[in-house]
Amino acid sequence: MTEELAGAIGSGPPGPDVLLEVRGLRTHFHVMDGTVPAVDGVDFRILRGRTLGVVGESGCGKSVTALTIMRLIDTPPGEIVAGEIWFDGRDLLRLSDEEMRKVRGNDIAMIFQEPMTSLNPVFTIGDQIAEAVRLHKRVSQREALNRAIETLSLVGIPLPERRVRQYPHEMSGGMRQRVMIAMALSCDPKLLIADEPTTALDVTIQAQILELIKEIQQRTGTALLLITHDLGVVAETVQDVAVMYAGKVVERGKVDQVLLDPKHPYTEGLLTSIPSHVARGQRLNVIKGTVPNPFRMPTGCRFEPRCPYAFEPCRSFEPPLELPYPASAADAGRLAACWRHVAADRRPGPSATSHVGFAVSQRIGS
Amino acid sequence: MATDGQAAAPVAAAADRGADSDVEVALESLGQWQLAWRRFKRHRLAMAGLAIFLLMIVVAIVGPIVAPYNPLNIPNSKIPGGEPPSLTHLFGTDDVGRDVFTMVINGARISLAIGGFSMLIAGFVGVAVGAISGYAGGIVDNVLMRVVDVLFAIPFLFVILVAARFFGQGQVIPLVLIFGLLSWPLIARLVRAQYLSLREADFVEAARAVGVGNMRITFRHILPNALGPVIVAMTLIMAGNIVLEAFVSFLNFGISPDQISWGNALSNAQPALSLGNWWWAFFPGMAIALTVIAINFVGDGLRDALDPRSHL
Amino acid sequence: MIQFIVRRTLQAIPVIFLISVVSFVLMQQAPGGPQAAFNQNPHISPEQVDAWLRRWCLERNPDLLGTVREYLGWLGAYNCTGGGFVSDHGLPNFLPAFLGGGTNGVIHGDFGFSVVSGRPVLELILERLPATFILMGTAFVIWVTIAVVVGVLAAVKRYSFFDQAVTFIGYVLYSLPTFWLGLILIFIFGVELHLLPTQGIIAVRTSPAPFGTPQFWTAFAAKPLPLIQDIAGHLILPVVTLVAVSIAADSRFVRSAMLDTLSQDYVRTARAKGLPPRSVIFKHAFRNALLPILTNVALEIAFLFSGAIVTETIFSWPGMGRLYFEGVSGRDYFLLMGILLIGSLLVVVFNIIADVLYAVADPRIRY
Repeated sequence: MTEELAGAIGSGPPGPDVLLEVRGLRTHFHVMDGTVPAVDGVDFRILRGRTLGVVGESGCGKSVTALTIMRLIDTPPGEIVAGEIWFDGRDLLRLSDEEMRKVRGNDIAMIFQEPMTSLNPVFTIGDQIAEAVRLHKRVSQREALNRAIETLSLVGIPLPERRVRQYPHEMSGGMRQRVMIAMALSCDPKLLIADEPTTALDVTIQAQILELIKEIQQRTGTALLLITHDLGVVAETVQDVAVMYAGKVVERGKVDQVLLDPKHPYTEGLLTSIPSHVARGQRLNVIKGTVPNPFRMPTGCRFEPRCPYAFEPCRSFEPPLELPYPASAADAGRLAACWRHVAADRRPGPSATSHVGFAVSQRIGS
Repeated sequence: MATDGQAAAPVAAAADRGADSDVEVALESLGQWQLAWRRFKRHRLAMAGLAIFLLMIVVAIVGPIVAPYNPLNIPNSKIPGGEPPSLTHLFGTDDVGRDVFTMVINGARISLAIGGFSMLIAGFVGVAVGAISGYAGGIVDNVLMRVVDVLFAIPFLFVILVAARFFGQGQVIPLVLIFGLLSWPLIARLVRAQYLSLREADFVEAARAVGVGNMRITFRHILPNALGPVIVAMTLIMAGNIVLEAFVSFLNFGISPDQISWGNALSNAQPALSLGNWWWAFFPGMAIALTVIAINFVGDGLRDALDPRSHL
Repeated sequence: MIQFIVRRTLQAIPVIFLISVVSFVLMQQAPGGPQAAFNQNPHISPEQVDAWLRRWCLERNPDLLGTVREYLGWLGAYNCTGGGFVSDHGLPNFLPAFLGGGTNGVIHGDFGFSVVSGRPVLELILERLPATFILMGTAFVIWVTIAVVVGVLAAVKRYSFFDQAVTFIGYVLYSLPTFWLGLILIFIFGVELHLLPTQGIIAVRTSPAPFGTPQFWTAFAAKPLPLIQDIAGHLILPVVTLVAVSIAADSRFVRSAMLDTLSQDYVRTARAKGLPPRSVIFKHAFRNALLPILTNVALEIAFLFSGAIVTETIFSWPGMGRLYFEGVSGRDYFLLMGILLIGSLLVVVFNIIADVLYAVADPRIRY
């Protein structure tokens, strides 16, 4: 299982246990002021029925990653520059638009951050859920509406027969997010992507919605990709985690591996800046500095300017995402991108002239 | 969209679509106006518009001095009028032999002056009334906005007629005043609308929370933010008023025939069409169209540069 | 809903009142006017002038109070031939006639007379309205249809060559002075090519009587087809002119409204469901963009009544715009006040219609 989780990045489809594998994904935005490499080398995988949390600060490329998987990036200004997205044995980036539409909402469903604005104000709840069912399952409007009522009761909405005839503005934010979840579940997806599903909600509702997502994930056996900036949510909700910084995955592994023994200084910084981790009276640890300017990314490790451990190779060379060295048995299946965890003889020395990871900001075909 | 403190100055350059909420960009230490100028420079049509507009202004200022002929002087009556464009008369001559090229050059002065100065009046009065209306609220706001309603509805030809009685018909300064008077309500509405929407904005709430007074909030915090749309609207007003001048002159309610404006030149040319003398009407109209197109493109560039969220 | 309509109507009354007062005063101040017209006519004796003036509640040299009386007379609250505020039946003059009020003034349906033609204002307006509706209606339907199609496509293909071309052409058309475009079209298609008629609504040899007169309508009822054909030919150039200068603002508006909705989260939701672009654009986005577009269109309809001054003047189209221009040129005050009042009323009515449409189309709005 753990071997499967780490996997080697190879070519061709991954094994049958792997539901989703993202390889070397790069999504850039061409804007007036230049090119923003929002996603710039993202690798992770989700096994069937398992849950992965993608965590990172706002602007690190989490949401763009999710939208890229759904191929919902607007082109222009966005462009999927490179990478592979293997889902259920197929590379989504090679599907035609029509084939991709059959995947969206059917095999992969998505829940968004803003329940208040994610539902169309001029159609009833029932119509909006039934629309997806009719599209993908080729059933009558009546059957689709019944399915809508069914999923609404699944997500704990009382009186679903009445609710289907209501408009979004007649519901609270928490209720609307339940509707979004119901809509996502209506076609029995194999993968559910939840992009900050609780960020816009009241604290009391947040726990309920998370609990609901967890419960439904367990009941239906769908895989879950949960995007969040909140390590607490990750710790409680998911099994595996990928940490993103400045468009790249810097560390990934099982939740207990990553959260209990972080190998990347950024993960460490995130963990120590959670107030509950700090004893009373002690100063709260913060990560110094700011996220790099996307127009002028550091040439080496992107975290180097803020890293307390930065040393010689970090400034000029990008660290590879690999099994941290030295690795114990407990580290099986985890990966980190940090020169500190690369064997000394494999680190580029000052004499090394080749720029290992330098091609990053170059556009690679597509 | 997710915006937290990480990005020091989030520029919504790419963030006008939901998908790129993650690409808000911190551009360090570039002032608002420098940034706007950079965006403006990248708008090719706007830059072309600006060049044409500046050229027109130069023509308006120095043109009449260097123009080859006297625009009003009817030459020796033995020379027949209505000559087509040639090297001696680039744009041809009218029925009494006046040089159309000279008319176009001389017309720039009055047309641009009316457009430009009425725009400035509209800007000043509109911003003042809009700010007062937004700042005072209540009954003052109500009264001012009813005045705006009425001014929008009054047909301008009336106003021009009445003004003609008091100021004499066909003079430039009364027309500038009238056009300014008729144009400010648009700006006032815009400023007031900005006030209403910005009143609840976070930065205003923050200013209020630290005890900044209402007066200061209106003029220091809200007005500068409303300035972008106001400047864009002012370009529209200038373009509109240049056409309006031509229009009222064309209907014989505008500039008196002893002065040269583009509208007058065009108005004089009406009978020329049936004679087949197209150049007589074509070139003054072209001058108007070119100037107005140029100003509108400048406005479009300014909108992109100053008011990036607007799609209009 | 009814309550809302009533409230909006009541709110509109002071504005219309104010507009009519200001216009009346402005006209008082303008040079010329009925008396000047009469004074120039040697066939009218001073006594006749006085009788006319009293009939229409005008005074020779009104002071402030006189102006107020004149205005109230025009409005119908004051009766200059009888007992002032009291009607011939001894009741307030502003009451409807069947309740014992007066018969003069606009509130009793009496819009006065045209100084220039000597005919009742309402008759003149009704005679001109059909021509304006034919011209403006045709142009409006064409430009709104094109604007919606072009605006939606430009928004969907944002920044594409098509979008940029539409923007460029739109700005150029928007910037063209209407009268210049009209003159050039007349020159090309009328004077040079002799392809299309350039003046009037119908050729003299086709029509037995001027357009709009009762004789015309009798002839029209008897044999409409050749008349319709002739009118259609006359329509082409003025319609092209109007469409060209009007289309840019509307297509820009549609594009903007579509861009606003296309960037909404619910459009992303619709795409995430796997809906084809057709459904996303026309069902989810356009259905929402329709709300501001409907409002805009409803407001534009209100202004169609006033016609197009320039286009109608250039093409000698016998519509409201030209009537208005003739009114201004001839200082025909009652005529202008009549047009202005009906115009303002229509703007108010269509404002309310726009709001009602909005409420019908948007489930979030309940009045």
